[in-house]
Amino acid sequence: MTVQELVKKVFFVEILKGLALTLSRLFTKPVTRRYPKEKRPAALGFRGLHALVRNPATGEAKCVGCGLCAAICPSRCIYIYTKEGPDHKKVVERYEIEVLRCVYCAFCVEACPFGAVVLTPHYEYSDYSRDNLYMTKEKLLQNWDKYMGEEGYNYFDKFWNPKADHFRTPKEQPKWRKS
Amino acid sequence: MERVEKPLQTKEITLNMGPQHPSTHGVLRLVLELDGETVVKCTPYVGYLHRGIEKLSEGMTYMQALPLTDRLDYISSMANNVGYCLAVERLFGIEAPERAKFIRTMVCEMTRISSHIIWLGTHALDLGAMTPFLYSFREREWILDLFEKLCGARLTVSYPRIGGVRNDVSQEFLDSLYKFTEEFPRRIEEYETLIDQNRIWLKRTKGIGVISAEEAINWGLTGPTLRGSGVNYDIRKKFPYDAYDRVEFDVPLGKNGDVYDRYRCRMEELRQSTRIIRQCIEKLPEGPIMAPDAPKFTLPPKDRVLADMESLIHHFVLITKGPMAAPEGEIYVATEVPKGELGFYIVSDGTGRPYRMRVRAPSFVHASVLPRLCEGGLVADVIANIGTIDIVLGECDR
Ligand code: SF4
Ligand code: SF4
Repeated sequence: MTVQELVKKVFFVEILKGLALTLSRLFTKPVTRRYPKEKRPAALGFRGLHALVRNPATGEAKCVGCGLCAAICPSRCIYIYTKEGPDHKKVVERYEIEVLRCVYCAFCVEACPFGAVVLTPHYEYSDYSRDNLYMTKEKLLQNWDKYMGEEGYNYFDKFWNPKADHFRTPKEQPKWRKS
Repeated sequence: MERVEKPLQTKEITLNMGPQHPSTHGVLRLVLELDGETVVKCTPYVGYLHRGIEKLSEGMTYMQALPLTDRLDYISSMANNVGYCLAVERLFGIEAPERAKFIRTMVCEMTRISSHIIWLGTHALDLGAMTPFLYSFREREWILDLFEKLCGARLTVSYPRIGGVRNDVSQEFLDSLYKFTEEFPRRIEEYETLIDQNRIWLKRTKGIGVISAEEAINWGLTGPTLRGSGVNYDIRKKFPYDAYDRVEFDVPLGKNGDVYDRYRCRMEELRQSTRIIRQCIEKLPEGPIMAPDAPKFTLPPKDRVLADMESLIHHFVLITKGPMAAPEGEIYVATEVPKGELGFYIVSDGTGRPYRMRVRAPSFVHASVLPRLCEGGLVADVIANIGTIDIVLGECDR
């Protein structure tokens, strides 16, 4: 053991260095949040509670009952029941999502050819009963009004509805400096 | 009364550790036989987190099975997704475009950082150092926020797709990731100031759980657990996938094969990952993010679905039946995830669903080496040994 090592050992140098670091942290801004009081905004395109998109023209759900979302859902938690309407059109009788079994993969959103189902940025929906979390068509439409509203259409266009040009590269590329 | 002299009796006691023990990193159960402080026998029991992922995937189309892989090693879900997508892509004979490859490499390395800092925090916490845990979770939060910005989910991302990635990276995302790579090396130094030379840390890690290079290979160890013993084996270097052959990085190696060397390996890997991310941002090429010439395997863009007949048909068939024209055959593709070698072995019978999917999970192999590491050591070092092989039980039990 050299003298230097001995000095380090006797004077607890490495431990003091560590303590100095933690002490200096005392004077910096805390990184934690007081959660229920202070909430962070969810990022654009957050995958939270489901909603059915309201057609702005008719005020009804956009969904046509094609069943693609139910077909792709890996946890099989979407149930769709359709029937024949008065003018021989298909009408969606019931559209239900068992939210508690959902894994939030957003495959339903990707599969829907009409952009009729969406995941909202709302994530605080725990409840005391399972029934309240069994989303029927009415509840899903209400979710749209509550958590997306008018802005929903912009938001939806921007993130959730991939178009052909979303698959292309944006024109301006960053000019990253070489390090 | 007459006193009867009885010889002092010694008996081995059996100690049940887990499955709820906080230091077993999940639900690992160890049955230890102790002679005083010494471990005589150690038997790991796995299976408490078995969800039947391999079997479940047989009933799903290739695309549907993707979220299942998130739930294997849930703290490095991005790397699992990439491994699965690569395996399926090679089976189908398609290839992701350049831009997607760079994005995947970038997010894989982000996952490596987040996984290693969780490992560092919990491992140090198990061995009595509380502060690195708090500091490392600060950086993990940063990475999770970036993931949220990227794809809307923080933990179970399901971001890569067969033939590319889900959506393009935004300028804002790249900017904040670049800032992260500038800041992160300083944070690594902070962790090192806290524990690297700390005498308690050294006492608890140096010379503990030693495994020689030859033995490590024989036990089938991979990843940093193997490299800590000085074996230069990294799938990213030996069998490069995605963009790993176009970025520069070193493979850190240990020498003694003890807990401390494996710790050093992972700390160096953090630095190398930062380097890779930075190169990926700098070299990110332009182009599409989904394989453009594989309409039978990848979903068509949304606005074309209702515009032309062919896309509509492809969209419906892909979603309801899975990929058309999946070739028959079998494939094994291994990728380097933060824990080691993650392999997907897929057997295809030509339908849209895998006939059989087998996952070679590094954690499962690593859990089997525990008796070798623990037996003959002290009971307090069992914790150090569980931490150092870096297992996640979600992947181990599948
Ligand atoms: S997010 Fe995924 S799991 Fe949830 S309903 Fe949609 S497809 Fe099903
Ligand atoms: S895919 Fe869209 S249109 Fe079809 S049933 Fe689902 S929500 Fe309705």
